[in-house]
Amino acid sequence: MRPILLQGHERSLTQIKYNREGDLLFSVSKDHVVNAWFSHNGERLGTYEGHIGAVWTVDVNSSSTLLVSGSADNTAKLWDVSNGKCLKSWEFNTAVRCVQFSEDDKLVLLVTEPRMGFPATLQIFNVENGVTETVSSEPVYNFNPEGPKITAAAWGALNRYIIAGRENGSVALIDPKTGECVSTNKVHELTLTDLQMSSDRTYFITASKDKSAKILETESLEVLKSYTTDTPLNSAAIMPKHQEFVVVGGGQEAMDVTTTSSRQGKFECRFWHKILEEEVGRVRGHFGPINTIAIHPDGRSFASGGEDGYVRVHHFDDDFFTFKFQI
Amino acid sequence: MPVSATNWADEVDGEDQPQTFTDANGITTIIEYRTNEDGKKVKVTRRTQKKLIHDVVNKAVAARKKWPKFGKEKGNRPGPDPATTNVGDNIKLKLSSTGDVVQDVDEKHEAMKAQLQNKKILCRICKGDHFTTKCPYKDSLGMEDAAAPAAAAEEAAPEEQQSGSKYIAPHMRAGAPAKGSDRDSMREKRDEQPTLRVTNLSEDVTEADVSELFKRFGHISRVFLARDRETNACKGFAFVSFTMREDAQRALEAIDGRGYDNLILRVEWARSSA
Repeated sequence: MRPILLQGHERSLTQIKYNREGDLLFSVSKDHVVNAWFSHNGERLGTYEGHIGAVWTVDVNSSSTLLVSGSADNTAKLWDVSNGKCLKSWEFNTAVRCVQFSEDDKLVLLVTEPRMGFPATLQIFNVENGVTETVSSEPVYNFNPEGPKITAAAWGALNRYIIAGRENGSVALIDPKTGECVSTNKVHELTLTDLQMSSDRTYFITASKDKSAKILETESLEVLKSYTTDTPLNSAAIMPKHQEFVVVGGGQEAMDVTTTSSRQGKFECRFWHKILEEEVGRVRGHFGPINTIAIHPDGRSFASGGEDGYVRVHHFDDDFFTFKFQI
Repeated sequence: MPVSATNWADEVDGEDQPQTFTDANGITTIIEYRTNEDGKKVKVTRRTQKKLIHDVVNKAVAARKKWPKFGKEKGNRPGPDPATTNVGDNIKLKLSSTGDVVQDVDEKHEAMKAQLQNKKILCRICKGDHFTTKCPYKDSLGMEDAAAPAAAAEEAAPEEQQSGSKYIAPHMRAGAPAKGSDRDSMREKRDEQPTLRVTNLSEDVTEADVSELFKRFGHISRVFLARDRETNACKGFAFVSFTMREDAQRALEAIDGRGYDNLILRVEWARSSA
């Protein structure tokens, strides 16, 4: 397969995300810009400009009309996907780490960092009016979750819970109405770096700096599967169709890259069999750690964004779909 | 004076316009003439066949395809812009059930390391403890196998003595006088040092060249290059004295039979010190 290289960013990527149909790919990086790409040919649809700090996170709603981005400039912005117009800018005391639309597109979850004496906040805003500039500046819910810093967060099935991954490697279920921590499970030794839901949101995958990725059940937070690699992981994604795989990626810390050879860097996307927990293949190409991985909702392609500033979009060859794991 | 990019003889009017033909099979041939980087005119023939492929997509997806570009892409033509979108090298995703294929690179590397751990690395050029390809003197001493000419020289030596058809240096001949003459005792002090006699040097060799050639093997205490009294050109031989006998031995083994300035060098122990 010949990857498509997207060079829309000047600094390292922080997150990439497909929309529901998978025709658009959104990428954010530390260079303040949000890019929108057509995933089938890598054509850039446009850029969303207005942030004045590194953009940590991005999400698009299921009808691909609204885009939300969270940045280190202490704002989260709501954008009109079709024309790049900023509809709303929410201001906070600290940087925004995670954003996500709820399953019904009515709510958006924002998580801010604890810093400079300000506690971490978990805020939920109402965006059910769609593409309009009349969005409330006041959150529907605003909590100060206790415990270590939240590094990743996602909505559970039917908005019953918010799943939060923490800096100490634990995963917590938070009730979105009361802000209470319903249950918690320490699954990783080190920082949890990524948390992505399965398509039906009944289970999710976590990636951690402790070199492992794990699949957990949403309701019970029970570890179902574990994938242990030889390098710190920054991202993990579940393949929704065609093959029972998960894709994990990472590499040694960016600050250590110059002191070792690129072969030892292990900057590869690794494919693991989801059920049998066996590594089945690798895709190399990045020359820096992989920061984020997203899989097309139809399972025919995937994209990875690296510390090197590139997004690589890979469309699988035909033999990928006919592969059968031999036991 | 600026040189014209194309030869005037090649320029024929009317060829600059691309020519387009469409044949019965619907294959369009476009012939263009362009000037390439070397300033030469090239003919570019492209044969294309248009095929309309119908693809059923989601209505929303189809609508999004028609969206005008915005932000930094505002006003740009549809289609990928090579400034931001490129196609990378082909990458094979090799799926394997055994789990061993994916680690082959690392394992090969480790295996090679282990294999070389117990091996003494010896350069074929300068006999140093590095790979021949990594030899710093590779360029000056040449890449050819040092063992081959050395072996050839050894085989040739007895033949020379038997047949007598080839030239043999006087001191090498069977009846050559043994050491111990007056001249030798005069140079006794000098001869305490291991000295090599280098012959078959070319005319324009200097002392610096010789010491450059030999100093890599060890410390050189003296280089004597025989020069013609009148022309000051090299007479074709030199003496090189080392401080350490082992260094001299290594130099002898390495340089003897080696090509230098299109001549095959001959290195042997200087007679008086042997």
